[in-house]
Amino acid sequence: MAESICRNLRDGALEGEHAPALSIKDSIATPFGSDVFNYVLTKLSSNILAGKSQSKISILDCYTDPLGWKDSLKGPLDTENFSLKDPIEAVLFRHVRNLDLLLSAIIEMGEALARQGKGRFSVSIDSVTEMLRHASLSSVANLLSKVRSHASRLKIAINGVICKLDIKKVYDQNRISSTFWLLHSDLHEIRAIAALEYLSSMVGSLEPMNLSLNGQRGDLEKLSLLEQNSRKGKFHVRFKRRNGRVRVMCEDFHIKQSGINFTPVSSEEGIINQGLLPKVQFNLQLSEKERIDRAKVVLPFEHQGNGEPMHIYDGRRSLSEGKDEKASVLSENLQTNENSGKGEIIYFRDSDDEMPDSDEDPDDDLDI
Amino acid sequence: MAAMKTRMSSFSRNTSVAPAPQAPGLKSGPNGTIFLSSGIPDLDKILGGGFPLGSLVMVMEDTEAPHHMLLLRNFMSQGLVHNQPLLYASPSKDPRAFLGTLPSPVLSKDDRSHNRDPEQLQEKGLRIAWQYKKYFGEHRPNFDSHRDTKHEYCNDFDLRKPLERYFLTAQNICCLSIQDPPNLAAFRDCCAKFLAQFSRNNSSISCAGRVAIQSFCAPQCEYSNMEWDMLSFIRSLKGMIRDSNAVAVITFPPSLLSPSSSKRWQHIADTLLSVKAIPDEDKELANLLTGYQDMVGLLNVHKVANVNTQVPVILEATTFSIKLQKRRYLVLECLNQAPVDGSSGSSYASTGSCSGSTKTGTLDF
Repeated sequence: MAESICRNLRDGALEGEHAPALSIKDSIATPFGSDVFNYVLTKLSSNILAGKSQSKISILDCYTDPLGWKDSLKGPLDTENFSLKDPIEAVLFRHVRNLDLLLSAIIEMGEALARQGKGRFSVSIDSVTEMLRHASLSSVANLLSKVRSHASRLKIAINGVICKLDIKKVYDQNRISSTFWLLHSDLHEIRAIAALEYLSSMVGSLEPMNLSLNGQRGDLEKLSLLEQNSRKGKFHVRFKRRNGRVRVMCEDFHIKQSGINFTPVSSEEGIINQGLLPKVQFNLQLSEKERIDRAKVVLPFEHQGNGEPMHIYDGRRSLSEGKDEKASVLSENLQTNENSGKGEIIYFRDSDDEMPDSDEDPDDDLDI
Repeated sequence: MAAMKTRMSSFSRNTSVAPAPQAPGLKSGPNGTIFLSSGIPDLDKILGGGFPLGSLVMVMEDTEAPHHMLLLRNFMSQGLVHNQPLLYASPSKDPRAFLGTLPSPVLSKDDRSHNRDPEQLQEKGLRIAWQYKKYFGEHRPNFDSHRDTKHEYCNDFDLRKPLERYFLTAQNICCLSIQDPPNLAAFRDCCAKFLAQFSRNNSSISCAGRVAIQSFCAPQCEYSNMEWDMLSFIRSLKGMIRDSNAVAVITFPPSLLSPSSSKRWQHIADTLLSVKAIPDEDKELANLLTGYQDMVGLLNVHKVANVNTQVPVILEATTFSIKLQKRRYLVLECLNQAPVDGSSGSSYASTGSCSGSTKTGTLDF
């Protein structure tokens, strides 16, 4: 499932559509958002790589000096030390509050790389949380929607933290873009999270393995649960499809030294979406017991299969018949009391004054 | 029973008040209202004729699905086919581009209605009784065949075929982007100017207008955190609409507003609809609903405008499934579902909440 997300990002948008966008949400209970982010980044680039030897990534570093303070403090401070081990180009960006400038910087950087080789524009944002610290929700949303609708061809990464990954190559295609970002859900208001989910086409949220800790559990149990949560969790993805349906997928993940592993869900959970549908008063479904009873009911117009002449019960009890029937019914009742759960059809006529059925039985010609 | 008395009382129902509308695309309804079509025949039937002139229709979007666009597209196309001026506002940079996705009307109605029946016949397997169904809804099928599309009140739209160019180059379409302006003053002025063309007076209606606003509180718009300003805009728009022969449709995602704002917007609407996404490949839902494979979403009618009357409109059913027949035609069908145990649910009248997510509030209507 994580594979399918990455594949969707790689495939990009169709003509006239906005770029697919993935939101990765984590929280303090499962703080593994950056692991998932790195996973998606590596997967995306290795998907794209597929045979090309060269690769290129550009970083817009908004972490080292976001508000331009170091610049304004002249003097003994030596700020020119971003000597990175990997030969990645990192451009310092100092005006995080001005999102128009940020957008144009992204596009400029993108176009610069595009000139070196035709490629696809893919933007990954390490932390939208960081961006929201400096700018308002509407301007960040504006930037993200402009990124999504911008059809260019390049891959750059805007990082709150300098990216340490290897360089990758961009993929050859025209006008296809994708973007993904990381978000820490407990640092924002619900409205902000809702707005970012609105803007994305896929929402991935990380949740702890065991959701609720019952207050009555012992301390030892709590500790073991905490420990489980510290390495594992669930990854839920809501994927907005083109036809308007939402695909909900779930996987377990496990953080190891080497990275993060996704495995399909171990326990089966049935989510019944009855909340979507209006509830109606009556119940047409049968419980097991009712089903068995129904199977046992002797229908009046069927051959019983035991050679006896058919008795069609019409609900009328005339005196003479009544006595006979009563006797037979009594004996039957005794038997029925012994048999458990025999079904019966009980039919009471409205009144005994009604005209008796004519001798011609209209159903006589049915061959049952 | 007073049936025998034919005394003329001093009260007499004034049925000759509503002028018979000369303009195409308008239909007179009960209580002196005049309707214009929503562009979706099933929705017109559900609402009792269409959208009444002078009303405000609000559609609550689902953030996970674009079904409100389907409703908007049909609404706008219907207006263009009937040559009704249109004002369209959206939060994208280039709203004119959306006009390219408007669907084209289907030319002959019979083509579609006949296609529908054989499918249903095969589905239900009852070949005797159901052939009478075609005489119920589509009365006078022969009569309709020689009318051209302009004169039909409500057209079926083929979502795969774009609207012809000559409809779009007409002078009467105004497109606005509401993404950049920092406040709504300019937008309000634009609406006022547009609606001034249709102001009501007692003479007959020359033409009616349509206003379509998409995703009004989208987060990328700068005014989107000014909740009172947005509310006051809607209030003044409603006032302007009341005074004119026009209908406004506003779509908005309620989960992006604060709960109190969202409630206020829902109350201010004359007609309130909501669209919902459905989960994909959900086995429980597939068992619960027939026709799940063709469904793309759900439509809920929360409130229907009652103009000039105290009697509210009570619908038989409020939840409908949105299906794309042959991937072209939008149909709304009543849900066929297996009912749930009565003790766990509540009856139709008191529940208005059919939300899969817990963010939208419950509505009691």
